[in-house]
Parts: sequence; structure tokens; C-alpha cells
Amino acid sequence: MSTAYGRQSGAAVKAGDTPASRRGWHAWSSSPAVRTLTLTTASLLIGFCTWQVLSTYVFNPFLIPPPLDVFRTAIPMLASGEILSDVAISMIRVLIGFTTGSLAGVVIGVLLGRIRLLHELLDPIIELLRYLSPTAMIPIAVIWFGIGEMSKYFLIFWGTFFIVIINTTAGVWRAPVSRQRAAACLGASQLQIFVLVVVPSAVPYIVTGMRVAMASSFMSIIPAEILAANSGIGYLLQQSSLLLQTNRIFVALLTICVLGFVVDRIFRLVVDKVLARYMSFVSQT
Amino acid sequence: MLRVTNVRKVFESVRGSYVALDGVSLTVKDGEFVCLLGPSGCGKSTLLNILAGFESVSGGSVTFGDAPVTGPGRDRVMFFQDAGSVLLPWLSVEENIRFALRVRKIPKAEWADITDRYLDMVGLDSHRGKFPAELSGGMRQRLQIARGLAVEPNVLLMDEPFAALDALTRRRMHKVLLDIWQRIGKTIVFVTHDIAEAISLADRIAVMSVGPRSVITRVIEPDLPRPRDLADTKVARLFGEIEDLLTPDLIRLDEQLEAH
Repeated sequence: MSTAYGRQSGAAVKAGDTPASRRGWHAWSSSPAVRTLTLTTASLLIGFCTWQVLSTYVFNPFLIPPPLDVFRTAIPMLASGEILSDVAISMIRVLIGFTTGSLAGVVIGVLLGRIRLLHELLDPIIELLRYLSPTAMIPIAVIWFGIGEMSKYFLIFWGTFFIVIINTTAGVWRAPVSRQRAAACLGASQLQIFVLVVVPSAVPYIVTGMRVAMASSFMSIIPAEILAANSGIGYLLQQSSLLLQTNRIFVALLTICVLGFVVDRIFRLVVDKVLARYMSFVSQT
Repeated sequence: MLRVTNVRKVFESVRGSYVALDGVSLTVKDGEFVCLLGPSGCGKSTLLNILAGFESVSGGSVTFGDAPVTGPGRDRVMFFQDAGSVLLPWLSVEENIRFALRVRKIPKAEWADITDRYLDMVGLDSHRGKFPAELSGGMRQRLQIARGLAVEPNVLLMDEPFAALDALTRRRMHKVLLDIWQRIGKTIVFVTHDIAEAISLADRIAVMSVGPRSVITRVIEPDLPRPRDLADTKVARLFGEIEDLLTPDLIRLDEQLEAH
């Protein structure tokens, strides 16, 4: 009886009826936050279970340690503060390189977007240099700056700089011509048009560039620390590898995943709080 | 007085040169409402850009008052079709108006008064805290108009400002614009491809031919009392007359496109 009723109401929904019959899955999934949280948890749980089963019964647990072993290794590393100090060291390197690289990238990108001659002169050089990934620059960075902090700042700066320049220049170019012309009619000077109209119009592009650069910074800090450092997460990875401590390698790898995710969320949160009004792309009438 | 004398405009590109305007002459009296009417590609927006000072002329001259027009000037404000891209999306309705007052260097003490007056004029006073993205197309266009009027220009140059709006909103905007024009008595040059729009608004309609080498083929003076109802026989006759005038050009335009 109830099944028959259920079918009926299902048919009614298909016919475009009211959501009165939304029950069970539908009612539960109607709150997007609850839905996302539940599905995310489920996804991670299924992933960890699969990993646990496979690495216990199928693969060699020494080569792919099961998650429970990894957590068992992680706890003392967390408790002693060992991993936190490595995280802090790597994060500070990323932060300094990323901030200076972004600042320089925005300033030069804005100038390139505005001054045509400068763009024509510098663009060929940038177009060539940007193919030198930070990893490719490690050997020369070590010779220039040693294995101290400066070489890491430089490598992160290098990776950030070009991405931010290219996005900023594109953003400045795409500031609507009609918006600039309208400002000129109202009486704005060239400088006012530049500072009050063009640069704010480029903000969404600049932020996108910085987000991509942030991800790239996370990619490049690890090889830089593996090859040229005596601290940081990359160094932890490299030492654990030399000592064949796969458990510790997995702890470091998981740390990188969590860190990247958290930093991106924080970045988005800050953008939402500080730059929200500049992030609208509205232009359709 | 806005005077266009024998203006010629040639666009140079890698594919060769294109003569957009060839010998356009027009005089717009102070306080007059003139529509530039013609199908797409007749160079009416080019002419408007020249009046605004965004484009230079290749021949002939444009003067406003006694001075030649050489660049964008504070006495002439352009209103664009796409208000969404013209307004500053990171500023609220009120802040967009204040932006205009700021760059025009109007004393801060007067800002509140002026903002109130023009937002009230376009009926946006209850939306002053909203951002452009939260407004409808018609409201954005009214905000653009309020912002342009707030700096008190002598001439309003309007480039199909209502073309992207739905028919009902467009009718309402015509009323709003005519009300404002009758109240402030500024000169308006209004570009449109819509015959009905030109008839319901203009003192004089300058009909332009399809390019290349566009010219003003005729200037029509409706001389009918406003509001002009399309159902009125005199208005309908005028509509038919202008349509007949434009049809050969439209056919020619189609043939040109087919030939390419």
C-alpha cells in the first residue's frame, strides 16, 4: 500500500507537481551544506577504508603503509612538534616568496598592461623566462644563494612572479573601454581612470592569478627543500626516503595535501572578506 | 550649438582603409533632441564617438560652441548601451554617483544634495545601497543616466541606450528621458536603429545611409505633440514614410552580406 502510494507521488513529482512529496533522500539533500558535508565525509571514509584494505591484503604494507599505521606514526611527530616546526618553516618560505612575487608581479603587470612600449619590449623576455619552472632554477639558485632561506624565497618568488604578471596584464587589458570612456566624460584624468577604474577592474584577474601562483608555490617548495635545504617538509620527505621510513613519507605527503587545501580556503575567505565587492564580473545588461 | 561640417572618417587597417563617413553635416541647436537613425553599420555610432571626442575626424570639422572638439570634454557626456559594463560594479548606486562628483571636483558639501536630486529624478532613491549587479537592466541604465546628469553636462550623447531592454521597460525609459529632458532642457543626440523610438523622442530625425561612405540622407522634423502614439494616423504615416526611406538601404545591405 505504502509502496504504491510512494510510486504515485513519484510520478506526480515528475509531472511537475509541488515538492510536497519530497521525503527521505530529497528532504535530506535539500540543505546544500548538510549534503556537501555528508558527501565529503563519505568520500574520505570510503577512500581511507579502500586504502586500508588494499595495503593490508593486496599491496606490500612496507611500500604503501595502511592509513592506521600512518596515523600511528603521525601522532608522536605531532606531539613532539617536529612536524609543526617543519610546516612552519615551509609556510614562512612560501609566504615570503609568494607575497614579494605577487607584489612585484602586480606592479609590473599593471605597467605592462598600460604602457604599450614597455609591453612590447618586455613581453618576449617574459614569454621565454616563464618556461623556466622553479624546479629548473634550483641548481643555479643554490649557487647564487646557498642552501639558506634566500634560495627558497627566490624560487617561490620566481614561480609566483610570472603567473601574476600575465594575469594582471590580461586583467588591465580587459577593463571595459566604455567604462574608461565614460569616466573620461565625467571628468576623470588619465591617472584617475588608471587608479580608480582600470586597476580595480583587473582585481578578479589578479586574484585568480594569485590563487594559481599559490598552488604553484606549494608545488615548488617541496623540490626546493628536497634538493637544497636542511629543514622544512621537503627535507623531511628526503630524510625519510634516505632512511626508508615509508610511514614518515606518507605523513609528510598527507601534511602537504591538508596544508594546500587549508591555505587555499583561507585565501578564498580573505578574498571574500576584503575584496568581495571587486570580484563581480557583471557586464551584461 | 553643436556643428558637424562635412565630416569624413576613414578607418585604416591591415585589410585596407574603410571610409565610414563621407561628407556628413549636421547642426544641433542648444536644447534640441536629435535622433541619428539608421540600420546597423551606417556609421551613426562612429559619428557619436566623434561628437564625444573618442574618435578624431579624417576630414571636415566638429565644433561645440566656438571651440573645435578635440577630445572627451566635460560639456558632453556619453551614455552607452551596456550600462552594466560602464558602471563601477564595486561601488553601490550612491557611490557610483559620488565617483562622478569626485572626478568632476565638485565640493564635498554639495555631494549629498546632488546625489539625492538625481537619484530621485530617475526613481532610484530607494535603491542607493545596492550594487549594479543587484539592479535590473532598466535600473542600471537609469543609474548611468543619473550619474551622467549629476555632473551637469550641456550635451547628452546617447548610443542606443535602451536597445537591450525589453519593450515595456523601453517605453517607460522613453517617458523618464523625455520628462528629464523637458525639465533640464539639455541638448540630446540619440543614436537608434528603431524608427518608433526615434519618432517618439526626437525634435528632428537625421536618417543615415548604410556604409561605406555613409551620409545623412534626410532630416525629418516630426513636429507632432508629445507623447506621440503610434496608433495616431499622423505618427503612423511618418513611420511608413521613414520605413520606405530605409528599405532600399536594407535590401542593399543584405545583398552586400550575401556577396561576401
